[in-house]
Amino acid sequence: MASSAPPPKLYTDDVSLIVIILDTNPFFWGTLSNTTASNFSFSKFLNHMIPFVNSLLLLNQLNHVVLIAAGVTSCGYIYDSATAVASDGGQKVPAVCSEILSRLEEFVAKDQKLGNGDLRTVGGVMSSLFSGALSLALCYIQRVFRSGMQHPQPRILCLQGSPDGPEQYVAVMNAIFSAQRSMVPIDSCVVGMQHSAFLQQASYITGGVYLKPQQLDGLFEYFTAVFATDLQSRSFLQLPRPVGVDFRASCFCHKKTIDMGYVCSVCLSIFCKPHKKCSTCGSEISHSQTEQLDRKRKLSEV
Amino acid sequence: MPQVRIVAKNFMDMVAALPAMKLDQLYDSSFICEAVLRSLPPLAKKYALQLLFIDTPVTAKSIEEWVLSDGISKHKVAIDRLLQLKVFIEVIDRKKEASYKLNSKFQSNMQRYLVHGGSLPREPMPSSVTVRLPTSEDLEAYALEQWECFLLQLISSAQAERPTSFSPSMMRVFQRGLLSARENEAPRLTENGFQFLLMETNAQLWYIIREYISTAEDRGVDPTDLISFLLELSFHTMGEAYNLNTLTDVQRSAIKDLADLGLVKLQQGRKESWFIPTKLATNLSVSLSDSSSRKQGFVVVETNFRMYAYSSSKLHCEILRLFSRVEYQLPNLIVGAITKESLYNAFENGITAEQIVSFLQQNAHPRVAEKTPSVPENVTDQIRLWETDRNRVEMIPSHLYEDFPSKDVFEAACDFARDAGGLLWEDSKKMRLIVRGDIHQHMRDFFRRQK
Repeated sequence: MASSAPPPKLYTDDVSLIVIILDTNPFFWGTLSNTTASNFSFSKFLNHMIPFVNSLLLLNQLNHVVLIAAGVTSCGYIYDSATAVASDGGQKVPAVCSEILSRLEEFVAKDQKLGNGDLRTVGGVMSSLFSGALSLALCYIQRVFRSGMQHPQPRILCLQGSPDGPEQYVAVMNAIFSAQRSMVPIDSCVVGMQHSAFLQQASYITGGVYLKPQQLDGLFEYFTAVFATDLQSRSFLQLPRPVGVDFRASCFCHKKTIDMGYVCSVCLSIFCKPHKKCSTCGSEISHSQTEQLDRKRKLSEV
Repeated sequence: MPQVRIVAKNFMDMVAALPAMKLDQLYDSSFICEAVLRSLPPLAKKYALQLLFIDTPVTAKSIEEWVLSDGISKHKVAIDRLLQLKVFIEVIDRKKEASYKLNSKFQSNMQRYLVHGGSLPREPMPSSVTVRLPTSEDLEAYALEQWECFLLQLISSAQAERPTSFSPSMMRVFQRGLLSARENEAPRLTENGFQFLLMETNAQLWYIIREYISTAEDRGVDPTDLISFLLELSFHTMGEAYNLNTLTDVQRSAIKDLADLGLVKLQQGRKESWFIPTKLATNLSVSLSDSSSRKQGFVVVETNFRMYAYSSSKLHCEILRLFSRVEYQLPNLIVGAITKESLYNAFENGITAEQIVSFLQQNAHPRVAEKTPSVPENVTDQIRLWETDRNRVEMIPSHLYEDFPSKDVFEAACDFARDAGGLLWEDSKKMRLIVRGDIHQHMRDFFRRQK
């Protein structure tokens, strides 16, 4: 008879901490709204996303949602449901909407200012600072873990559109592994044209869900059907499974995505060309073997 | 030992038990929809959310396809709950296939919530009218004091410093089941009463609120009104002032009772009067979550079975007296000892060792709460040992079989009972055996087959 022993925990195991990483890359959103037939713009995207944030908050009064924007040159916190409720009392939902919008506007303006001097912006669609946003999200989760007795179940949801930036490979992979270590699943929803290798790997390694919606107009349904599911319920539900994961890595020297490369035998750094000395750990690599390999390859090519 | 326990039945069970008409009325209010949605099991929440923007009925079969095979039982629980609360309406189509659609009121309310956001139950009063509102600490202290005062009056009306406005008949309703009043004898706490005292505040509150609602009809109040008001109350902001004039008559009479329980604080201004919801009220619909209601502990237990309780509350003293010998009582400290006699006393009153241990652990002083274990192991072990001392005899309902016609039949019967895991005792000389009661039916079938 244990009626007063831990009071019956009724359905409270679905309390979640959800960190949403939002791609605010103006280059991407600009091209998307111009090229696609559905004319899917950033504001339409927000029309799907804000009700989704609301529904996450609706599902459980202890749910905690944090929004992080990933811009071209910077990333920052946009919205935190824990502080927002405390500051403006009961008016929850309208406040959520207006706060997100105004903070986003601020962020985009700041991001643009920072990006002005940057030469990277010349030519084509630029990648967003995804690695930074992911690190921010993980830091936030760690802080919540350490601050209180309560342990909401954390997860990260990446809403990415712009293509991967191969130059962020190392940082992104490190973030993914630390997420794996702290058991934080990374869900990813790709709204862009092409699949994202980073996010495929992130979701695969951390046990999250990777999804590239076919119909962007039904984004909200995708959100509620897949990404609103708490971690507990995931073990009972049919969720999208990974079809194939692109495991290609970027080389450390030129930050190019490569199919085949050279790996330092000491620190496992990846290079696209053979080096005499590993640039990461500094260990000397004896060249007799690599030269032999090269010669063999040349022979076989001939 | 009888397995009686007070179940702090959840608010939503009470809501689900309402007749369909009343329930439909409740869904007019978006707060109630919100509270109902939040009370659902996670899977059910998800279903409701997923169907929110679908207007046509969805077949039961296709919903079932959402779950994996090991989730079927959870799925059934979720669907049952949704049907029970009339969130899902079952529609049988021409092919006699069941499909579900959301309750239309519920659906439109929740859709509005997601898109436009919820509105407040009522506007808080401007701070220009309500000068000097209590701080949240004051409010919490007030709520706690009010609640303890109520509890003290509940267990021994003589000790309460000031009587609450509950009528004696109301009080008797609350005491029903907790106190046994024999004639010409001071009322004694029953087993349930002891368990009630050791429960945490939210669970206690539930018990009382449930009694309060279930007796509403005797007072000429519609329970539906009360339930909707209480749910609404939990959506008010703690510490804000709300005008009493915005309440209906039923609500106004209820709020006085709620003030006695410490759910709200009533204040009077020059012209108007208002109520301020406390943490107890805002936690009402949340009462399922225990984490938010953590109070600071006060008990330190030493390895020598001494117990120091840093508290000035009479209620705490009364509770500790239930299972320990109180030795000194200083203004802010109660010193007691956990002895075999005091524990036997407690066990006789129907308190279990587990309850005592969990009470000590839950109320551990912050200084010792940091340590693991917060209560010394030798003490918890001893408490459990003393309890098992009393339970040396175990009772199992069973059946005795005798007068077997032959040794073979007897042995076959023994083997059968052993295989079924129900053989308790056998005496092969006199050919008698005792078998657990629950397999008696199988035994009978077995004998019949033998013939």
